[in-house]
Amino acid sequence: MPTLVLLDSSLSMTRPVSVEGSEEFQRKNLAVHGLTMLFEHMATNYRLEFTSLVAFSSLWELMVPFTRDYNTLQEALNNLEDYDKTCLEAALQGVSNVVQQEWGTSCPCQVVLVTDGALGIGRGSLRHSLQTVKQRVEDKKFPLPFPFPSKFYVMCIANAEELQATDSMDNLEQLINLNGGEGQIYTMEGPLCLKSVQSMFGKLIDQAYSPFHAVMRCGNLTSDVQVFPRPEPVIIDEEVDPMPRTVQTDLEIVGFIEIGDISSPPVLSRHLVLPIAVNKEGDEIGTGATDDTEEETSTNQMAGKSPNFCVLLHGSLKVEGMVALVQLGPDWFGMLYSQADSKKKSNLMMSLFELGSEPLPWLGRISQLGPASDAAENPYGEDDSKSPFPIQPKNKRSYAQNVTVWIKASGLQTDVQKILRNARKLPEKTQTFYKELNRLRKAALAFGFWELLKSVAELLERECTLLPDSAHPDAAFQLSHAAQQLKLASSGDSKYAAYEHNITPMLTDFSGGGGADRI
Amino acid sequence: MRMFSVSHKTAFVVDHCPYMAESSRQLIECDMLTKSRSQGVIPLAPVSKSLWTCAIECSMEYCRILYDIYPTNKLVNYIVSDSEVHILNSWKQEHQNTHELMAALAAVGPPNPRQDPECCSVLHGLVAAVESLCKITEYQHEFRTALMDTADRVANRGRIICLTNAKSDTHVRMLEDCVLETIQEQNKRAAGSDRLMPIQQCELVLVHIYPQGEETLVSDRQKKELSSVLSSEVHSVRAGRYLACKLNVLVQQHFDLASTTITNIPMKEEQHANTSANYDVELLHHRDAHIEFIKSGDLHMAGSTSRDSGLKETVTLKWCTPRTNSVELHYCTGAYRISPVDVNSRPSSCLTNFLLNGRSVLLEQPRKSGSKVISHMLSSHGGEIFLHVLNSTRSTLEDPPSISEGCGGRVTDYRITDFGEFMRENRLTPFPDSMIDAADRIPVERAKSQLERHTRYWPMIISQTTIFNMQAVVPLANLIVKDTLTDEDVLTCQKTVYNLVDMERKSDPLPISTVGSRGKGPKRDEQYRIMWNELETLVKAHVGTSERHQRVLDCISACRSKPPEEEERKKRGRKREDKEDKTEKNGKDTEEKGWTTDSERLKGVMEREKDEQSECEIIKDSPDSPEPLNKKPRLATEEQQPPEKSKGPVSLLTLWTNRITQANSRKHQEFAGRLSSVNNKAELYQHLKEENGMDVHENGKATR
Repeated sequence: MPTLVLLDSSLSMTRPVSVEGSEEFQRKNLAVHGLTMLFEHMATNYRLEFTSLVAFSSLWELMVPFTRDYNTLQEALNNLEDYDKTCLEAALQGVSNVVQQEWGTSCPCQVVLVTDGALGIGRGSLRHSLQTVKQRVEDKKFPLPFPFPSKFYVMCIANAEELQATDSMDNLEQLINLNGGEGQIYTMEGPLCLKSVQSMFGKLIDQAYSPFHAVMRCGNLTSDVQVFPRPEPVIIDEEVDPMPRTVQTDLEIVGFIEIGDISSPPVLSRHLVLPIAVNKEGDEIGTGATDDTEEETSTNQMAGKSPNFCVLLHGSLKVEGMVALVQLGPDWFGMLYSQADSKKKSNLMMSLFELGSEPLPWLGRISQLGPASDAAENPYGEDDSKSPFPIQPKNKRSYAQNVTVWIKASGLQTDVQKILRNARKLPEKTQTFYKELNRLRKAALAFGFWELLKSVAELLERECTLLPDSAHPDAAFQLSHAAQQLKLASSGDSKYAAYEHNITPMLTDFSGGGGADRI
Repeated sequence: MRMFSVSHKTAFVVDHCPYMAESSRQLIECDMLTKSRSQGVIPLAPVSKSLWTCAIECSMEYCRILYDIYPTNKLVNYIVSDSEVHILNSWKQEHQNTHELMAALAAVGPPNPRQDPECCSVLHGLVAAVESLCKITEYQHEFRTALMDTADRVANRGRIICLTNAKSDTHVRMLEDCVLETIQEQNKRAAGSDRLMPIQQCELVLVHIYPQGEETLVSDRQKKELSSVLSSEVHSVRAGRYLACKLNVLVQQHFDLASTTITNIPMKEEQHANTSANYDVELLHHRDAHIEFIKSGDLHMAGSTSRDSGLKETVTLKWCTPRTNSVELHYCTGAYRISPVDVNSRPSSCLTNFLLNGRSVLLEQPRKSGSKVISHMLSSHGGEIFLHVLNSTRSTLEDPPSISEGCGGRVTDYRITDFGEFMRENRLTPFPDSMIDAADRIPVERAKSQLERHTRYWPMIISQTTIFNMQAVVPLANLIVKDTLTDEDVLTCQKTVYNLVDMERKSDPLPISTVGSRGKGPKRDEQYRIMWNELETLVKAHVGTSERHQRVLDCISACRSKPPEEEERKKRGRKREDKEDKTEKNGKDTEEKGWTTDSERLKGVMEREKDEQSECEIIKDSPDSPEPLNKKPRLATEEQQPPEKSKGPVSLLTLWTNRITQANSRKHQEFAGRLSSVNNKAELYQHLKEENGMDVHENGKATR
């Protein structure tokens, strides 16, 4: 989940913070201090997160595009200049554009707004924006809610009392509401100083940037892992089941399935599964990606040399072309598989299926999947030539069962033509002729289209009179028989108009003979 | 979409009164004479559908699309109304298919124009529809039961689609009032019943159908709230294709559908088999398949066009001819069932058949700029076609650290192939709902417990294990993890153990890893000690499973040399070695003789074992029990080794050969003959002995 930091660099941010004694700080310094702390945390614990920095006043500017290079971000932060007044709406529009350009609209994103809570005056102020939010035309809509799934965090370099004195707090709360309640406002507690800004950003880190650690297990084989990006809680149905569900920290493998059988399933999200070494105190040594200090490198080398189940699993999944089905919680499953990027680096990935007992129709209910060895007969065949998947649904779909639709005249005409074509090739085509005839009959009866039955009967009778001299004698018999049956059906007489009834070929002296002589 | 939204229940009410028998006046020519035969034949008069026929086929089309896209959970109750009410099906899932509805409609037949119009009304049907909406569905029942105290979260909403021919706007108002009144009445009744639920929200969709060429007597009206429970809208539509079009739009609105047109589908021409033309096929599916276009606002950029008098929009995606049939795991963010708009047309059926035959088709987003973006994929699973949405934007997971850079990444001798085999053995398969085992476990729990059993002892790297590198151990290793063993399985395990005993006595090299240790690695007897320990660890992990598992362990403990005595035995062994050295000089014949008898005796034991499978434990006490045998093979080992040792330093050739043999033994399955050979001599036609039973010993000697 990428992060975009939106930093207020209006003049009001340069207001000094009154601290007795010691040196004088600006609010901006506090903001920079807090963000530095955030970036440091991400650089060590959340390294794969893409972060971008946007500064705004009356205009906005993309200072650093999305990157994992936290040095660049820090540098930009340190060299930030001061500008004019605050105009949040334009900046939020900018955020929306920047994110969409980079990630599209389906990727969830976290937006961290850092401001002093002085949200401008008059036109362009947040107050003004919110007052007019309902009077917008189509192409000038307020940028919230963002078109992509998002969390909107507001870090106020101000304390709550200060914000409540004006209507700033109300306006900010309204912003969160506009974003569908996705987000939170953080204010500083106590005096504005380095310590309280640290504690405020500490709360944000706990809330949004705590790494997700879990134990992956396959029977007795286990591995400590970090799942990145961390899986977010999911709600199935806000009415019937409004409780958000979270992925449990025990990822238990249930069994294995061929890639061809799982067949590109739809997923809620994808995550890297990175093995981590956990030492006795429970502290993480590293995800293997960190190599900052010499000490760390050596511990990493140690970790690299001791066998890890993730690596074994990844290797075998890759070689065999399989996925592991993993349980994420009650009635919630996902899959583990090997994913290679263009540079031939490959990784263990986890995708989360939709919540519920049957996330993929072609697998059926997951709780009903059991070990293949329990089946009376090997469902994969002795030579791996079969597969129990996909599961066939009870009813066939319309496109798989030759339904009759006459909404367009051409549909009806095609069906009539088919019958006539076969009629001319009697008796060779007797079976197809009656099959098509019965199909038409059934549909006409269901649609109450008796006129059609009469009409087709007439057509058949005419066909009969037009038979060439060389025609097989059986043809004439079958045609007049069929015509008569259709007429009977069109009378609505329950004896002949029963839907399940089929017109069967007339038994003639010729029909049995096959190679009967021609007249 | 919420589970119990308005679209959970749809009641169709179709007017079956005499006036519905009126012709729609849309003429269909069904006598299409071919050119050659047209001379002198007067074509038949065209046919025309009645209002009833139009209403039925359009409502069936509505249901067809609905059932294609929502096979469960979205239910239809079909009601026909004349002088009485004909309810053609129920909310039950098993009644939700067009086939059953068609059969029921055929039984109803077209309206009877001679019926007394005074006693016929669509009102009967509307009242029945409201009553029906109060009835609880299987899904509502299931959730109410599951939620218990929060059962009130299960809502009861529904929609009534009424296809009729109304007299006037006043007539329409009368129908609406009647529905409203009935809802109020029924809700009172439902409040006191367990089987019924009051209606919280109802959408009434009145479709007035009139023949072509006539003026409508009823005006269209947008959706309007008549009360907090009921909203109503009126559509006045000419019969025929206008009606079909209207219901197609309605089904899309009601079920959040959207349309995609697949363009550039190459198809062979019917007439000229070797030419191909490009066709378009329009599909309906859930709107979310277009979510990326809708959100980014480039629905129009994505090639969407308005068609059919601006009633609906379709997104155009380009067919990409599949090149390979390789199985690939695409990153797919959604999969939605489809239904072709024109299900019977040749292009539609060509496309659906192609997909049903197991091919997948990638779909490309047409863009003005050069870049090609694959945004969707069509694929069928078990006879159902799905439109998969593929991720086409930048991934946040790009350029991750390779797994080889992380924990355990430097280790190179993982048992990848073995774990692959393990995965194959632990593949999943669906079981019928009723299938629960003796311990009352659902299949997925059985799968987990199987994984647990199979991994009780599972070294991850080759250098951590000896037994799993030995072909000879495979039968036992495969069996011991099973939940239950048969007597035959136990016998197989025991045979495996005897085989190992035999190997030890012959001092066959073991594939023990020399990684980490310098030089030759552990001595041969040490190797066997390691191997036996490991085997014991494996079997001990399963000893609690059953009494038969215990018997396998007993067999190992009986056959292997006891570790605690080891030190002592070593000392003794050394003394004996000296003696043996002397005896050796006496000639090899004696030694060979000793060998033969030993192996014969061992075999004798094995044969007898077979007869006395069940008495395995007793054997320990018998004079022929493996216990003493065990020591002899050790002696034999020492007997064989000394000649080399006594010659002083080992030659480079011997070192090399040993190394190669050891390495090779890991790579291939040992010949059955060599495994059971004695001094590299294998006995042929052993099975004859088994057949001849008692002659074993004599035959054995005879061959020597």
